Amino acid sequence: MLRSFYIVAWCVALVSCTPARPVIDEQMMRVDGEMPADFSGSWERDYSRGDDVNQVLRDIYYYLSRTSADRAFTTRPGPVQPSSREMDSILALARLAELITRPQVLTISQNDQEITVDRKDDFSLLCAFYDGVAKGTDSDYGTEICGWDGDQLVSHLILPDGLQVTHRFTVSGDRQQLRVVTTVSSSTARVPFTLSRFYNRFERLPPDFNCIETLSMKRVCSTGEIEL
Amino acid sequence: MTARARLALLLLFGILLPFPSLADSGDAGALNVSIAVLDSGVPADRSLHRDLKIFPRIRDIESRFLPFVLRETLVNTGQWGAVRVVSEPDPAAEVSISGSIVHSDGERLELRMRASDASGRLWFDRNFAASLEEQQPDTGDPEAASPFQPLYDEIARALRESRQELGEAELLRIEEISLLRYAVELAPSAFGKYLETDEQGMYSLRRLPARNDPMIDRIERIRLTEYVITDTVDAKFRELHEEIASTYALWREYRRKSLEYEQQNARRAEQTRSDATRGSYEAIENLYDNYKWDRVTSQEQDRLAIAFDNEVGPVVETMEARIDELESWVDDKYAEWHRLLEELFEAEAELNRVGT
Repeated sequence: MLRSFYIVAWCVALVSCTPARPVIDEQMMRVDGEMPADFSGSWERDYSRGDDVNQVLRDIYYYLSRTSADRAFTTRPGPVQPSSREMDSILALARLAELITRPQVLTISQNDQEITVDRKDDFSLLCAFYDGVAKGTDSDYGTEICGWDGDQLVSHLILPDGLQVTHRFTVSGDRQQLRVVTTVSSSTARVPFTLSRFYNRFERLPPDFNCIETLSMKRVCSTGEIEL
Repeated sequence: MTARARLALLLLFGILLPFPSLADSGDAGALNVSIAVLDSGVPADRSLHRDLKIFPRIRDIESRFLPFVLRETLVNTGQWGAVRVVSEPDPAAEVSISGSIVHSDGERLELRMRASDASGRLWFDRNFAASLEEQQPDTGDPEAASPFQPLYDEIARALRESRQELGEAELLRIEEISLLRYAVELAPSAFGKYLETDEQGMYSLRRLPARNDPMIDRIERIRLTEYVITDTVDAKFRELHEEIASTYALWREYRRKSLEYEQQNARRAEQTRSDATRGSYEAIENLYDNYKWDRVTSQEQDRLAIAFDNEVGPVVETMEARIDELESWVDDKYAEWHRLLEELFEAEAELNRVGT
């Protein structure tokens, strides 16, 4: 019974993540006045919460076997095993999602114009608003756009071959918990792969030294005011 | 103060200024050159800065830094009079150079430069560009010649060629018009009659003041005083150049390396494009990594730009504050000189009327 509930919930989530409608529309890319939520701070992964990759994979396997097109060609009742090609595509998405969501710590800085999410061993997600309109990052390798869905910050990365990565950031009312839902989808896979990760706020200890980066002297630190 | 005392003060002001001659302005070929701080070429639309890979703060520093390299190039040719870097274009300068930064990324520098003389004659208005690959590699050594030295040499050559097209008489006329344009700004009542402008904005002489006209001598004296301040401002630009040259060389070197990394990223993306099966983990990881390394390279440049500004920002701010002080002093004095000269001219005209 519980398993069926999870499957239904997962399917609802799946439909809501279908890339048929834009993840971020023009309305979401506009901000009038202040940013709807404040994510700034240091966030440490809460391993006691969040999705288990294997469980999500099992749920997808179950969903695919129930909805496989191959069912039309068999007289045998019940689920049909998804094709190995289909499962390979899902496994690839799962591995990438797992890789992307691996960082233990997120450091988020935010001002009136920009939100930057620094992640170890990965590029920083950047959401910049100029005159209240989000400005995407465009390169030969992909396009990154962001926006607000209510008080959720949505970052959407569009890569070649229909590969897409979406992060949804939600902060709790007391600003002590952060939830990041990461969805990876591809034109080669029938369903996207979604992982939720939870983070708890932590305060970094005030540093003993004031430090700044310089070009010629690298990192310069002092217990007092830094004079170069 | 009574009118008599005021007149006495004005005449004393006039006497205190010695009387050099308009014709004794030195070697007609060695024109003085004013190089204005460059327009940084930063678009007002902030949303374009990242796309164009422009770091506004660094462009701002370059706009003050690069004119000094041109100044040094012109001084080293020995073909010019005083060459000064100034904060604003000086249209009354014998030769006025201004321009903007079109492109600067450590590997390629492109400047739009405009040169004109005091008569309003345009010497040139065009782009000058140099790429590192065409020149010697940048060693990062601030003592070495600028890696874009050929660009500055080209500007110097263009200036020399423009000057060579002018005869001795025209060069002398430029000096005279320069002084009179300056004089008109200070005392329009006294000097407005000597100059005229045509529809194209070209200045020409109606006639010259008398050789012993005390007003023109005062103007020259004031101009020399202003030159002292301008030279102090120029010295501040020299200090800035000396203080940040090594850091700027490092920045240029890092910027050039970033461009190399971008090229490596492109090669890597090309190599991995068709190796893996579409939809496989290897294929989608490559797609993600291609984007990731491109962003990491770009964000590293952002970090370096901040590091550069951390290091040279305080020097630049101190210099800007000092230049503001000096220019504010000149502005105040300029207003005072303007008032005094106009009053002095009135007083002398009144004396002449009484005398006749």
